[in-house]
Amino acid sequence: MSKISIGIDIGGTFTDIIIQDKETGLIYNQVKVSTTPKKPEVAIINSLQEQLSDADKVNVQQLYHATTIATNAFLGQVNLDLPKTILITTKGFRDVLEIGRQRRASLYDFFFERPTPIVPRKYRFEIDERINAQGEIITPLKQNNLKKISDFIKTEAIQSVAISLLHSYKNAKHEQKVKEYLEKEHKDLYLSAGFEVSPEHREFERTSTTTINSVLMPLVSRYVKSLTDSFKKIGISAPMFIMQSSGGVSKSEQVQQLPVSIIESGPSAGVVASCFLASFLDLSKIISFDMGGTTAKAGTVVNKSITLTSEYEVGGDVHSGRITKGSGYPARFPFIDLAEISSGGGSIAWVDQGSALRVGPISAGADPGPACYGQKGDDPTITDANLVLGRLNPEGLLNKTFKIYPELAEKSILKKIAEPLKLDVIESALGIVKIANNHMSRILRIVTVERGLDPREFILNAFGGAGPLHACDLAEELKINEIIIPNNPGLFSAMGLLFTDAKHTYVKSIRKNLFDIDYSDLEQAYQVLEKQGSVVLTEEGFKTKSIAHKRFVDLRYVGQGFELLIPLEGIALQNENCKDQILKRFNEKHHSIYGYILKEEEVEMVNIRTNSLGLIKKPRLVKITEGTTKPIDDAQLATREVYFEEFKGFKQTPIFSREKLLAKNKLVGPAIIEQYDTTTVVHPNWKASVDSYGLIHLTRM
Amino acid sequence: MTMNVDVITREVIRGGLEYIAEEMGIILRNAAYSTNIKERMDHSCALFDHEGRMIAQAEHIPVHLGAMPIAVRSIEKKFEGEIYPGDSFILNDPYLGGTHLPDITIITPIFFKDVLAGYSVSRAHHDDIGGMAPGSMPGNATEIFQEGLRIPPIKLVSKGEISKDILNLIMTNSRTPKIRKGDLMAQLSSNWTGEKRLQELIAQKGMKTYKLAVDDILNYSERRFLSILSGFPECEAVGKDYMDGDGIVDDLVELFVNVKMTKKHVTFDFTGTSEQVKGAINCPYAVTLSGSYYVLRAITDPTIPANEGLYRHLSVIVPEGTILNARSPAAVVGGNVETSQRIVDTLLKAFSKILPDRIPAASQGTMNNLIIGGTDRSGRPFTFYETIGGGAGGRPTKDGIDGIHSHMTNTMNTPIEEIEVRYPLVVEKYALREDSCGNGRFRGGLGIIRQFRTKVPVVVSVLGERQKTAPWGLAGGEDGKKGIYSVIKSDGKKIILPGKTTTTVNAEEIIVIETPGGGAWGEWKKRTEKSKEEDKSNGKVKEV
Repeated sequence: MSKISIGIDIGGTFTDIIIQDKETGLIYNQVKVSTTPKKPEVAIINSLQEQLSDADKVNVQQLYHATTIATNAFLGQVNLDLPKTILITTKGFRDVLEIGRQRRASLYDFFFERPTPIVPRKYRFEIDERINAQGEIITPLKQNNLKKISDFIKTEAIQSVAISLLHSYKNAKHEQKVKEYLEKEHKDLYLSAGFEVSPEHREFERTSTTTINSVLMPLVSRYVKSLTDSFKKIGISAPMFIMQSSGGVSKSEQVQQLPVSIIESGPSAGVVASCFLASFLDLSKIISFDMGGTTAKAGTVVNKSITLTSEYEVGGDVHSGRITKGSGYPARFPFIDLAEISSGGGSIAWVDQGSALRVGPISAGADPGPACYGQKGDDPTITDANLVLGRLNPEGLLNKTFKIYPELAEKSILKKIAEPLKLDVIESALGIVKIANNHMSRILRIVTVERGLDPREFILNAFGGAGPLHACDLAEELKINEIIIPNNPGLFSAMGLLFTDAKHTYVKSIRKNLFDIDYSDLEQAYQVLEKQGSVVLTEEGFKTKSIAHKRFVDLRYVGQGFELLIPLEGIALQNENCKDQILKRFNEKHHSIYGYILKEEEVEMVNIRTNSLGLIKKPRLVKITEGTTKPIDDAQLATREVYFEEFKGFKQTPIFSREKLLAKNKLVGPAIIEQYDTTTVVHPNWKASVDSYGLIHLTRM
Repeated sequence: MTMNVDVITREVIRGGLEYIAEEMGIILRNAAYSTNIKERMDHSCALFDHEGRMIAQAEHIPVHLGAMPIAVRSIEKKFEGEIYPGDSFILNDPYLGGTHLPDITIITPIFFKDVLAGYSVSRAHHDDIGGMAPGSMPGNATEIFQEGLRIPPIKLVSKGEISKDILNLIMTNSRTPKIRKGDLMAQLSSNWTGEKRLQELIAQKGMKTYKLAVDDILNYSERRFLSILSGFPECEAVGKDYMDGDGIVDDLVELFVNVKMTKKHVTFDFTGTSEQVKGAINCPYAVTLSGSYYVLRAITDPTIPANEGLYRHLSVIVPEGTILNARSPAAVVGGNVETSQRIVDTLLKAFSKILPDRIPAASQGTMNNLIIGGTDRSGRPFTFYETIGGGAGGRPTKDGIDGIHSHMTNTMNTPIEEIEVRYPLVVEKYALREDSCGNGRFRGGLGIIRQFRTKVPVVVSVLGERQKTAPWGLAGGEDGKKGIYSVIKSDGKKIILPGKTTTTVNAEEIIVIETPGGGAWGEWKKRTEKSKEEDKSNGKVKEV
């Protein structure tokens, strides 16, 4: 191989590594190895040493990486102590960070805890300065103010500083001055300021975002350095790109300055992979559904682009797929609009005091694991329920290399669910699956129905180790007519890394009535943001012809509290009628979400946004051998009793091997398709067909 | 044939109903116009069944939720035989199912194939509904007619047709008509979402299954409630607490409750509470019910789904003509926001004797309502309303939380940058109020200081409490510090304002709100050195 790309996705349990030959676009190898939490580089390096020759290593051109380090830092995991950070803010406002929105995350719980402030009060400094809402300086900043803080940094060995002053989104002069002063005084200090990290109004959210960034800077820098050093030691010196929460990658040097951008690095890769699939197959609306061992995640890809949001709380509690407000630390940065719920193969089923069957949020994880693993766990999980219903192979998982014990699954469901509820084991197992499906259908609803999108118009792309087991049930629930199961569902997320363009997002706060705007000024403002993007992308090695920009605008009716993000694609700002075009798009979106529009109301612009993209050459999916509509005889491995609600009982069901299915093959449900990293259940009334790339399409009959 | 749905279907439908209520809340917030709803989330949503029983609610504002069933009942009663698909009803009359006039409730009946299946209900605090003071929260009102436009239960939307006349009437009576319309439309939008989603759910599960499941869901909450009650002692205890005054007469006003617990039933008997008063701290029965529901939920298990079933075994007895069950036309605007907090304190005082390890010391016990109204420099009238957090009470196992809303409210603050863009106000300070907590083994939370400089002459209404009696400590813990409201005149002189008043403030003068700290739990001598040291180094509590 003369040119190699490597994708590395570090998860809680497994680290997925994909090696791609860039010349042919073919995947050379893909493996899952156990994660080594304290030193994640160990698992990667060991695995690469096994798979690559010295010559290969020299030919590695890019490394793509997804990591959960930023989230873990806030969950208090893996020995990540937060570095000593101070906050510098406007006089009178050092407690803004602690008071937050003065709201409690749990209404009726006398014993709830507010998250500890990221920077303790004694490390929050006020300086005498003030800028007003119009951006005018009311109280000028005096430099001698800063001397005391600078001394404190020295004596207390402070590692990083967050600067967040009132109205800095409007006028950044004071923040700039403070930053320059401290830069001059301290060489090794990590510094970030609100105007650079999150130039949007709302002081608490901006201050929180800036502080999160400052706290992460030393951690992420150290992490990047130790990772790249390890690569260098074995002869790989390719640049590393890291997946951001926005679904684009950014070069590691850039990420070290803006680590707040990689908080949801891990979960983003799956949606990016779905986006690639949508482009490749020319599909306009797909739902990305990823169900693994502990959680399930959903996002949408509409017109081949990913939906973003900027409301996110790091380390927050998730309730019914949404983050509970006030339970974590808000970060205002573009995040892929994902809904997540604690529902995975390992989620535990239990009976509560009022005799109701519940599933999750606690997971048996990999240790002790589901009851059927025969390890220490005796709590029934979703995996146990699927096994009892015949959906999983009783002889073992991972091509029978991983032994499981169906009798233990049955015993645990009998004791912990069936007996207390006076049901039989099958009814109980079915109940577990149904309740889990109900939870997961909520996250699918959140990303569609709640966003004004009709799920019936979507194709469900189901992946992750458990996604294809539940896909038909979920599609029935949401009246979705087609499902796509990618080739390697368990490694699909990691694959997404290789498909990812570089992406940098910019925002500028411009508050004006839509019809009062001078459109040549606006064009100018967009160009300034785009220039910033081009500079960074050029530094990352992108040529002008592979750089592209997308424009967006946040609009609302004057006086309304929430903005809608409207893409400006296809609208030229120099055109006469551009305002009407923008207004039309806004009204359409408003109507689809809220059910009404206000014709007589004025519309105001709040922010302008750009995405600057560094486009990479996408790998191609490879065609597989063509067969006929009937699978070859070898493809059917066996038959087995599988429970289907449609039959109100078990039914002899053919079991197929995914590896042996050929293009054009068709199957009629009920059927089970097994492969190394997942099992696909084809329900009655559904049929499966294999396309020329080996993707399975399930359609309702 | 058995008349039961299986437990699985019941659980699936329960999840679906809760999800609908939550989605309604999100729709309302996002589509709303006023800062009060969009930034502070001063609204609540719920679903009711065809019999008017609450079946699901979104966790928003406790004081809104308890009173909702009465609102639904008043619609059912008044419009019996005249409720059609496409209708929506509106009301804010506290004596007919409302809480106080700014809280407007919209109720949409939901039909499935022409059969009544339930109601979607939203309640939101509107920042001006007319009356004698901007913001419609006059601290010195003496009858409800001064507090704003009173809307009895009426039809706002008839078979899909919005009544422009009613909208116009409401807008005309508000100082901020455009915002009223935007917020009302957002409420309708939320109710319609609830309607659509419930119809979808019924279409999927069938009407019969839906109805059976609803019965079962309510019974489930009842069962869980009774199972907890069986672990509590059978006993009686009394609680007593005071309001500072009614804003007209300066005397303390007593609240009294006798709590009686058996293994099967709980009774809150407020007999002995003061007669209704002249000033605006009276409560309609609905508000007393909200406070009672809140406490019941918090002391049992907050994870029990809140619906009609949870409250079946609770009786709330309040003699008519007392401040907790006032007769029209008593002024009530402060009952909802202030007296409701004291209802909680009074009940918790009683429960501290029954369940000593579960009850915290008193929290700030007020919402610190602040309304600033006037005309900005471009001649546009404005009304700014917010409530301000304070110290939460120390708990039997840990400190109270600093600077937060407690008990009956949970609204967010308004971002300073939003205030300064929208109103001719400059916020000069927003900070924790040092040394304001009660000290003890587990100290109370600190209060807040919030300071506004106005750029134009304004009318300021404050409506607050705990300026004469302090939030009490428990188990030997100290009381928290009382609240103080003041105005700093241009010559630097500080004038202390009464807790409930409406006054004018000149341009460039400063309004200072200092909110109460929480009471402490346990004796100071038992506080760990580490905690003392931490408080000192953070400048929260100096040497005691």
